[in-house]
Amino acid sequence: MMIALNILSDAFFAAIAAMGFGAISDPSMRSFKFIAILAALGHACRYSLMTFAGFDIATGSLCGALLIGFGSIWLGKKVYSPMTVLYIPALLPMIPGRFAYNMVFSQIMFLQSMDNVAERTKYMDMFFSNTMVTCTVVFLLAVGATVPMFLFPKRAYSLTRHNR
Amino acid sequence: MKIFWDTIATYNSCTWPVQAIIIIIAIALTALLINRPSHAIRIAMKVFIIAVYLWIAIGYYAVFCAERNYTRVMTIFWIVLAVAWVWDAITDYTTFEHSTHHRVLAYSLLMLPLFYPLISLLRGMSIPFVASPVMPSSVATFTIGLLLLFHRRVNFFIVLLLCHWSLIGLTKTYYFNIPEDFVLAVVCIPAIYIFFHDNFLSNASATSKPSIRVLNAMLITGCSVIGIFLLASILIVFMK
Amino acid sequence: MARETIAEVGKFIAEYSAHLMGCGVHTSRVIRNSKRICQSFGYDLNISAYPKNIILTLRDTESDGLFNEVVGTPALPISFEHNSELSALSWEAFDKHLPLSTLWQKYKEIISAPRINPLFVLIMVGLANASFCRLFGGDWLSMVIVFSATLSGLFLKQKMLAGKINEYVTFIASAFVASLCASTALIFHTTADIALATSVLYLVPGVPLINGVIDIVEGHTLSGFARLTQASLLILSIAIGLSFTLWLVKDNLL
Repeated sequence: MMIALNILSDAFFAAIAAMGFGAISDPSMRSFKFIAILAALGHACRYSLMTFAGFDIATGSLCGALLIGFGSIWLGKKVYSPMTVLYIPALLPMIPGRFAYNMVFSQIMFLQSMDNVAERTKYMDMFFSNTMVTCTVVFLLAVGATVPMFLFPKRAYSLTRHNR
Repeated sequence: MKIFWDTIATYNSCTWPVQAIIIIIAIALTALLINRPSHAIRIAMKVFIIAVYLWIAIGYYAVFCAERNYTRVMTIFWIVLAVAWVWDAITDYTTFEHSTHHRVLAYSLLMLPLFYPLISLLRGMSIPFVASPVMPSSVATFTIGLLLLFHRRVNFFIVLLLCHWSLIGLTKTYYFNIPEDFVLAVVCIPAIYIFFHDNFLSNASATSKPSIRVLNAMLITGCSVIGIFLLASILIVFMK
Repeated sequence: MARETIAEVGKFIAEYSAHLMGCGVHTSRVIRNSKRICQSFGYDLNISAYPKNIILTLRDTESDGLFNEVVGTPALPISFEHNSELSALSWEAFDKHLPLSTLWQKYKEIISAPRINPLFVLIMVGLANASFCRLFGGDWLSMVIVFSATLSGLFLKQKMLAGKINEYVTFIASAFVASLCASTALIFHTTADIALATSVLYLVPGVPLINGVIDIVEGHTLSGFARLTQASLLILSIAIGLSFTLWLVKDNLL
């Protein structure tokens, strides 16, 4: 019961986050609900994989992104939108913000503790591990969601075609 | 908590002449602005506000509240507000044009800072352990009242920062038991609604996306949620 | 029906592709859409898209007529709606063989439709950042503070971009204001570091990042790297703005 509630709340907040980040890029009003559905599915998928199946954040993100990508190729036809319109906002809640923040934080702390070798090494280590996670995850997110476009080019390229 | 009221007491007993001068200037300038508005008066008002904000940032926070934690953030926050007013004075953005709406709310907001010490006294505090009219929350109340009275064209960035401030104030009342700041939070909600409505919705074209009705509904829902949040926290504080 | 001249079609294609490129559509889609429209008029199109401009050549296969044009890419705000509607327009032109005058009319209609209301964006992005805070494990108080901090930062960004102030300066300033507002969470016993971390995330340039990766994978390496470079510079600006705040409060975060 608790588990289901956790997954649901995760999906809910991911959906709101995706709709908000979508709003910055001026989507059509009809695509909002599909953005929300995709984001909820993708983020809940990553959450479940990481919490219950022991996946690491990179693999989990890749799986979530793949789900979003395939979902957008399917739902895109319903709103006549290109895939990117649906999946870019849906991916944004999966951006590893904590790691990105720690990256900036450790960089500042590194510069602040130049004359203390132990501290310096600690922050250097922190900086590199956080940078690696951030870059890998962002790259995998982009790749994972784009793969369906290359697998089904015909369908992906005619999503906005109205009459067939 | 104890540090909080101690710093206020030192501040009050050391700076009451300065505070008195600031209050007198504020009353004089506001009266002039209402009765004989002119370009010179407008600039004078802005310069005065910048001076008061810097006083809050440096005099209040950096000097007298140095004992408290995190005063550096507060100092910078009020300096940012002062910078926003400097920009405003240079570009002459806020015109201080008299508007006829919402005058009751605006005048009561303008008067409120003078009643802050009374509220403290009614709560059973003794001088100098009182919230004075020249403290961050009372200055924020005064500014919101001033902007509301002349809300034809206001600098919305300043409004948002002040709203953030009053949100912090509201949370502070909850954590540190300072009911004085409830006043600020209570008056802020209608003010937020009016500012948002006038800034975004009054001159939007009919073909807005999404429609004006939806936006207005969102705004009202947002304000009522904050209102309920506020009521709940007032109840909790009084139940304690 | 008289066939439209190559120069007239070429002018439309130049305007159309430059607009698509400017409002954040990945390169291969711009090329495909433009080729599709040209095909419906019976012309061949070759196009190379660079970050700042587009070079296109239309060729008439029957009469060896040529039309060349180099257009600058305008710096437009990203718009998904333009992306979908203009792509749909290219299919409509292809399927129904619309005449050029109709195409111009529909194009003008699409690009002059109202953009999403800034108030709606403010509220939605505020809520989005607050839920982001929740996803990272922030509590209710941090969510409320992040919401309000995002409003201030995003409003500043909207106003500065409308005032044509340099994009990087805008990003630094709004990241600084948003994180400064969020850092007031430090006063309370709450998840202040999460509030700080999430307050600037609304600025992350997701569209150029992902478009850049798509472009590179599809072989448009040049424009792909251009997009990624631009996105990284923006992220760098966010980091600079955030680090001003972190530098102010670092002693309290350890």
